[in-house]
Amino acid sequence: MITVAVVDDDRMLRDGMRTWLSGREGLRLTGSTATVPELLGGHAEPPDVVLLDLLLRDGSAPEANIRALADAGCRVLVISTVPDRARIVAAISAGADGYVTKDNDLPALVAAVEEVAAGGTAVSPEMAFACAHDDRPERPRLSPRELQVLRDYASGLTLKAAARRAGITPNTAKDYLDRVKAKYRQAGRPAYTKIDLACRVREDGLGVP
Amino acid sequence: MILATVMYRSSHIVVGLFTVLQHQRDRPAAWLALGAALASSVTVYGTAVRRREFSVPLVWLDVVVVGCLTPFVAYAWGGSALSTPGDWPVLLGTSSSAVAAVSLEGWWVVGAVGLLAVAHLTAYRYASAASVVIGGHLISLVSSAVLAWVFWWYLSRQGRLLDAANARALEAEARRARYAERLDHHRALHDTVLATLTAIAGGVDASTPQVRERCAREAAYLRRLIQRTSERDGRPLPLGAALEDAVRSAESLNLRVTAQYHAIPRLSPEVSAALADAVTEALNNVRRHAGTNRAYLTATGDGDGVLVTVVDRGAGFAPDRVDPGLGLRRSVHGRLAEVGGLATLESAPGEGVRVELRWPR
Repeated sequence: MITVAVVDDDRMLRDGMRTWLSGREGLRLTGSTATVPELLGGHAEPPDVVLLDLLLRDGSAPEANIRALADAGCRVLVISTVPDRARIVAAISAGADGYVTKDNDLPALVAAVEEVAAGGTAVSPEMAFACAHDDRPERPRLSPRELQVLRDYASGLTLKAAARRAGITPNTAKDYLDRVKAKYRQAGRPAYTKIDLACRVREDGLGVP
Repeated sequence: MILATVMYRSSHIVVGLFTVLQHQRDRPAAWLALGAALASSVTVYGTAVRRREFSVPLVWLDVVVVGCLTPFVAYAWGGSALSTPGDWPVLLGTSSSAVAAVSLEGWWVVGAVGLLAVAHLTAYRYASAASVVIGGHLISLVSSAVLAWVFWWYLSRQGRLLDAANARALEAEARRARYAERLDHHRALHDTVLATLTAIAGGVDASTPQVRERCAREAAYLRRLIQRTSERDGRPLPLGAALEDAVRSAESLNLRVTAQYHAIPRLSPEVSAALADAVTEALNNVRRHAGTNRAYLTATGDGDGVLVTVVDRGAGFAPDRVDPGLGLRRSVHGRLAEVGGLATLESAPGEGVRVELRWPR
């Protein structure tokens, strides 16, 4: 049984989600709040997966919300109305396990929740597109094969079709997408102290060896 | 300005030529000095005409060779008396000072004209010319520079004013285009989102499949609208607008299109229209053959070129056996080839169809 919570400031969506998930086997909705502190403030066990709206009306930063949920032991699936690419990339860097737009139908949403609960990445074409065409200087370096699978998946191909194009198995293609997520997380890890900073410089091969 | 100084210098060379022909025909040094002046002029003005601006080192060379050395050579060995203000070796100095005034910057002009003045003063002293002649010549040397500089200043000011007017006209044009696009969007919003919301508010049952489908379509339109306005500034891109039309017409036939754009280049209206026509054809094909109501469109810039894909996750086909995309193949290929693009079609049973449009091929 996967426990799921929804954090969204739109009540209509929260109610809809409750109706949607109530009849679903294997999923149980345990929380539904408008902010992250409300959800984590209770004494209940934190849910396995949190569906987190990217922009909340309490003015909280999406990255801070994602980190707080991840620190509490939840996996985070970000949902949003408009696929804003800069925000998608920031959310993945902050530790989100997937990103889907709200216009997906129920089966697609459930599949994404199950994927994330199993420790995988719920990659939507929108998320793949945001990473494939990320041209910030601080973007992580992706290998040509990773980039190809990412681009093909972003164009709307299924994972199977993207794998066939690249001449690899769907499982390998999935590994590539997971690796992209890991690289973004790695690049998004904050540098707190001078020692941390020195470590990062060494890792990135920027300093004198 | 280059032309004006060329004419000024030419007149001096011609004067020099006539004087030498009449009075100093048998003096090689006079011919040599005139030749040097001619060579220097050809170098300076030839370069200026080619590059559309004067080369500073060459101008200095002209000032030194033509302006400063020629009078000495012409006096010492060329038989010029240097006893009147209009003698050709010093006349050339005045055109040198004119060139210096329009091509050098700030105090360098004063320096060049000063150098010329000192050189000519010394040459006249050697020739023991009357002081009225020297004074008259120095005045014409300085006034040549001043006149040339004023003339040049006036022309560049007019040029700047013209540039500013052009920029204003372009900006007004861009504003008009943006305004027209906004009006377009307002009209579209009025016909779609506003009409639907009004109907729902008025009591239409929003849970019927038709209404929900319509809401989803219009939400997709709003989403694209937000993405497009956040991504670019300035004039609307022909390709962006043409693709939007293709998507809207497919949506009006109940196909849901997820469209994503990145760094679309500014293409000509012809290429944009051809790409959009091919996209329309590909989306029609999804609607008719794929057995799904969802399609994905991406357009990404690649330098000056663009890569457009239309993808579905529908039934697909085995390309080597059946070819239901025959119509698609023919129409898309033909339309794109006309403008120098390339279309490729890929599919496998159960894996949907991928149409790739590339421009240039």
